[in-house]
Amino acid sequence: MMLSRSAQGLYWMARYLERAAHLCRLMQLQVETLVDRPLREIHFGWNRVYSSMNQSPPAGTLEAFGSDDYTLADSYTLADHLTFEPMNPDSIWNCFACARENARQVRNYISAEMWLSLNMAYLRLQELNIQEIWKTTPESFYAGTAEEINTFTGVTDATMYRGDGWHFIQLGRYIERVQLSASVLLSQIDAREREDESFDADWANLLHVFHAFDAYVHTYSVVVHPGHVLDLIVTDEMLPGSVRRSLDMIGAVLSAIGPGPASRSSEEASELGASLCALVREGRNGVKAWHAALGRINVDSRTLHQCVTDAYFDYPLGTQTVH
Amino acid sequence: MDFDTYELDAAFYDEMFLPDGTPRGHCRTLYESLLRLSSEELVRMQERVSHSFSSEGITFTVYGDDEANERIMPVDCLPRIISAAEWRQLEAGLTQRLKALNLFLADVYGPARIVSDGVIPVDMVRGCPQYRVEMRGVSVPHETYVAVCGTDLVRTNEGFHVLEDNLRVPSGVSYMVANRKVVKTNLRRLYRSCRVQEVEHYGRLLRATLHELAPREESDPCVVLLTPGVYNSAFYEHIYLAHEIGATLVEGRDLLVDGGYVYMRTTAGLRRVDVIYRRVDDDFLDPLVFRPDSLLGLPGLMGVYRAGNVALVNAPGTGVADDKSVYAYVPDMIRYYLGEEPLLGNVKTYICRRPEDLEFTLENLQDLVVKRVGESGGYGMLVGPASTPGEREAYAREIRGNPADFIAQPVLKLSRAPCLIDGRAAARHVDLRPFVLHGRETRIVPGAFCRVALREGSLVVNSSQGGGGKDIWVLGE
Repeated sequence: MMLSRSAQGLYWMARYLERAAHLCRLMQLQVETLVDRPLREIHFGWNRVYSSMNQSPPAGTLEAFGSDDYTLADSYTLADHLTFEPMNPDSIWNCFACARENARQVRNYISAEMWLSLNMAYLRLQELNIQEIWKTTPESFYAGTAEEINTFTGVTDATMYRGDGWHFIQLGRYIERVQLSASVLLSQIDAREREDESFDADWANLLHVFHAFDAYVHTYSVVVHPGHVLDLIVTDEMLPGSVRRSLDMIGAVLSAIGPGPASRSSEEASELGASLCALVREGRNGVKAWHAALGRINVDSRTLHQCVTDAYFDYPLGTQTVH
Repeated sequence: MDFDTYELDAAFYDEMFLPDGTPRGHCRTLYESLLRLSSEELVRMQERVSHSFSSEGITFTVYGDDEANERIMPVDCLPRIISAAEWRQLEAGLTQRLKALNLFLADVYGPARIVSDGVIPVDMVRGCPQYRVEMRGVSVPHETYVAVCGTDLVRTNEGFHVLEDNLRVPSGVSYMVANRKVVKTNLRRLYRSCRVQEVEHYGRLLRATLHELAPREESDPCVVLLTPGVYNSAFYEHIYLAHEIGATLVEGRDLLVDGGYVYMRTTAGLRRVDVIYRRVDDDFLDPLVFRPDSLLGLPGLMGVYRAGNVALVNAPGTGVADDKSVYAYVPDMIRYYLGEEPLLGNVKTYICRRPEDLEFTLENLQDLVVKRVGESGGYGMLVGPASTPGEREAYAREIRGNPADFIAQPVLKLSRAPCLIDGRAAARHVDLRPFVLHGRETRIVPGAFCRVALREGSLVVNSSQGGGGKDIWVLGE
């Protein structure tokens, strides 16, 4: 048993950090494309980043392929918007600020080491800006920031008591991961349909976002086939970042937490988690079939978030247990 | 480090040196250790101390015109030393004072004998904005209205004086412990050799105090710390204390009143709350009783409290005893309730509601510190010697407009202690705020939050006004 608002704080702390990590990985790959990839691929990459965050690029950017100079200038603007812009709720800067703010409010539920790890990363970020990171290798900045989040996750794993607080952190992390995964995969498929089948260079790139390239080569071959990429990222139970693994974790965590005071919402959350697990386990044949399934995962994972909120954080008063 | 450029001024008591420049007996070990350290070593140590506060997020919040800024509490790494004998004297004086203040509160919310006996004017008590009629006749466990008190003390050449009793929601104790932790690890050998008394057990003492005030016999009562929220200037302290006492840190929105009890909302349902260590001012505690626009408190809380089903620490209405005008009467309270002479003196205070004091204040503004009775944190005061004629004129107009709103005190010659400023030892003015706990019994940790005016010549020690912290080492017997 823990204070609902604190559970919610831990849940959101984890969600924001997962979002920041996801964006760091996407951005790391995107800034790499700026070195030598064709303009079409660079534009595609930026649109993929934005649509995976359910956003559109700011007005005035990416309006035409234009020249190298225009695209690189746009890229600088977009990188700033996605990394340091305080008005962009999903910028890496904002995700860190929100994660840290949530952590600050629940410092009593996290270990001192977790707080230190997160606060140090936050303070480092405060001292940087886009000019600074653009001067050298922005890839290193994104890799380093993702690394700091990995360190935080490791510190959490090593130091946190496996009570309710821990479970709500896991719940936030995996619900966010499912949502982001579904969004980025859908945007990839949509872009493929908009372009043409020959434009498949970014599927390999996508495997890197999910730390899945080596697993792919090991499971299939060096030839990247979109259907196989989706099979691996969505259904593989041994891939740490797969959708299936995240959904399995959500089921396990909900079971460990037990029913919340709003029993109907608790049941609904468990049922939804179980049905998404079943959907993913069934598998799909081909990109189009995956598109429909991912669409459902995208919608249902948001409903799942609402059920968790209703069951444990904002439950209606009157029917709850009194201790 | 040498003290060649350290300035002594006979007008100010120096915490480390005698007027002839030799170190005081109980400071000799510190002095000799500092002589052995190079300035560079001390500067590096100061950097480590500041870095440690920054990385651990030991902050306070300063409110600007349109936003709240989280700031690192500046801390000076040179400790201030208090001898065992001095501490014994302080401890006795603080215990005596809190005892009298609790008796005063029980009296003014009960039979009000002190008023009917003419010791304190009735309008001083009943006219005080902090007097809460809602507290009349309320039964308070062990008659402990003030369970946590932070008394501001200053030292002059004449000895220690009480500058202010903070009886509502005193803050600063977390910085006392944080300063200790970081300074002792950086001066480890010296710390060990000085046999300093510990302060880190404050949380345990506070927990014991709060448990003693629980309204029902429970081996493990449910204690919560009620915070106004993350934007409060002392939010770090709220987190720290909740952790130390094993309490849940709650905001008003986490609580609800149902069937005459207070509950908190948990992930497994509602849990009954026994003790609320509230860090929310009276005005905001219950919108049904106090300020109706408050979103920080809990509607119906006072009803549960009056029924004896939850403890509020400190009790509402304690502000009547630390009002800046009522302060002047604390020595009389001690004599009245305890039949003893005060062990700790007050600072001479001119109460502007008295015509003769008003006249004196207006004639001597340039030599006085004038404060509004309802303000704290160093805000809204006039420091006469540092003011311009125009500022004094404007302030005088305000005093004439509402004399009862002001008190005046002589400019105190606050003692000074060596601080590390730009790599050198420099004298800066200091005060100290020890924390006194009282449930069934009185408990005091041997230490205090030492505030230091880091700006040269400044007498304002408040963190919001350029002040910082310093560790205080109370030596063992």
